[in-house]
Amino acid sequence: MPSERINVEREIVVPEDPDEVWESLTDPDRLEEWFAQEVELDARPGGEGVFRWGDGDERRAVVRELEEPERIVLDWDDGGSVAIELEPVVDGTRVHVVESSPEFAPAFELRTLSLETSAAKPPTPGWEAAPPEAALAWTVAAAA
Amino acid sequence: MDGRSGGVDRVFAALGDAGRRSLVEAVATRGTATATELAAELPVTRQAVAKQLAALADAGLLRATRAGRETRYEVTPAPLEDAVEWMVSVGTAWDERLAALRRSLGRQGKSRSIRQAPGGSSS
Repeated sequence: MPSERINVEREIVVPEDPDEVWESLTDPDRLEEWFAQEVELDARPGGEGVFRWGDGDERRAVVRELEEPERIVLDWDDGGSVAIELEPVVDGTRVHVVESSPEFAPAFELRTLSLETSAAKPPTPGWEAAPPEAALAWTVAAAA
Repeated sequence: MDGRSGGVDRVFAALGDAGRRSLVEAVATRGTATATELAAELPVTRQAVAKQLAALADAGLLRATRAGRETRYEVTPAPLEDAVEWMVSVGTAWDERLAALRRSLGRQGKSRSIRQAPGGSSS
C-alpha cells in the first residue's frame, strides 16, 4: 500500500556546536524559548512530552528515538511525527527537521478502491444500488 | 486539522454508491471528462451521469468547469486539499520556530561567553 504521508523539511545552520543546540531540543526550559509556550518533556526513549501554544493548541508526543547529540524523533498523538537531526559543520551545526503528517488516507485510496468496485460491477443494472460489501471495503480501507 | 473529519464524512457519503465510485474512477482515468463522454462508455443515460457528477462535485470530489455548453469535471479529492493545507501550515510553523531557535541560541551564547569571560576584566 502506498504511503499517504507527506513530509515538510527544513534546515538551518547555526553557529553553536551540537551540544549547545541539543540542549535547546531537549531541555523543556530551552524549548519554551522557541518551540512552544509551555513544554513538559521527559527526554529519553519512550518518554512523554506535552507542548502547549498560546492559541490554546496542545499536542502530546512520545520520544521514539533519542541519540545525544544527533537525533531526536517524536511521535505525535495524531499519528504524525517529527525528526530533528544535528550535524556538526565547519561553521557550527546543521539543524535538519522533517515533520511527517498524519495519514491523509481517503483521497489516496480512492482510485484503487473504485477500480476494484468497477471491475466487480454488473454491466447494466445495479447502477443506483451499491453493493453493501463495496461500501464496507471502502470504509475499512480508509480507516486502515 | 479537526475540520477534516466532516469533509471525510461527506466523501464517504458521496462514495456510498457503486455507480458514483466508478464515475470518479472514470473521470480520474481520463483526467477530465464531461457527462456526454462518460455516458458514451457507460450503460447509463447522459442525464443520470450528469446528476451523479453534480452530486460528486457538491461533495468536493470533483471540480466542475464550464466548457462551452458542457460542464467538464476533474477529480479533486478534498483530503488532498487538506494535505496541502497541512504542508503550508506546518512549513510556516517550522520557519518561525527555527528563526526563534536561532535567536534563542544567540542569547544563550552571549550569556555563556559573559559568564566564561576570564575575570570579566573589560566589563
